[in-house]
Amino acid sequence: MSTGYKDGIVSGIEAPALTTPTQLAPDARRRRLRFGLDPRLIAIGVAGGVLSGLLGVGGGIVMVPLLVLWAGYPQRDAHAMSLGAIIPISLASVITYGAAGKVRPADALLLAIGSIVGARIGAGALTRIRERPLKFVFGLFLGAIAILMLVRS
Amino acid sequence: MTGVVLGIALVAFGILTGGAAGLLGVGGGTLMVPFLTLAVGMSQHEAEATSLLVVLPTAIVASIFLHRKGIGDLRVALRFGLLGTGGGVVGALLALALPAHVLRLIFAVFLALVATRLVRDSLVSS
Repeated sequence: MSTGYKDGIVSGIEAPALTTPTQLAPDARRRRLRFGLDPRLIAIGVAGGVLSGLLGVGGGIVMVPLLVLWAGYPQRDAHAMSLGAIIPISLASVITYGAAGKVRPADALLLAIGSIVGARIGAGALTRIRERPLKFVFGLFLGAIAILMLVRS
Repeated sequence: MTGVVLGIALVAFGILTGGAAGLLGVGGGTLMVPFLTLAVGMSQHEAEATSLLVVLPTAIVASIFLHRKGIGDLRVALRFGLLGTGGGVVGALLALALPAHVLRLIFAVFLALVATRLVRDSLVSS
């Protein structure tokens, strides 16, 4: 059935790749060890957590490039995995920050109402966009963040 | 009146960051925190705490949608994210001990390299 993992990446002309089924990197299957996870995924989760705690950036900015360039996931799947991993990471941070009592609930509610609508739209676009423009857009986003951080430091 | 305008601006900005988050696979805090400090006038701590509270439902909604579409592996993602929460504690403690601007500089260079690589990959035909 699956003709190989590479098809996910080289979805250029012949394979429009609308909603490509999930394909784990082949060696991600082979190397499952601790916690039922590829050790690289453990490292990526921890790196995402450490850097978000350390620099106050979202874990996704770290996890997406590592999932693509190191763990070998297709760009689209890496984005989905990153969003999933952000759930427990941000939940833990919310609990920590919530205890500090710094949240402005009314503002958060209004932002969240918009953000939930936006998330549905953005995730919908993620299912339709091709690998290559997605890579390009994400690359530009990272570049912009890098410039922002350089300016701040 | 200004309260209503601010409310509308918050919802509109929410749609924007939520959309970017869902497409780019990030939480959106990187976009939200500068907006909340510069445009809304929150303190850095308030902005970070408030944005985290928005990131959580955003990630949940996007993840459920993508899971239904069969993209990624949510169960695996939740598991390595859970391990990441431990890393978050370590990172927060390290942040107290290390000079923030140096770290930011190193990280910015890392991001710039990755950005170059991704843009190049997307332009060079395979």
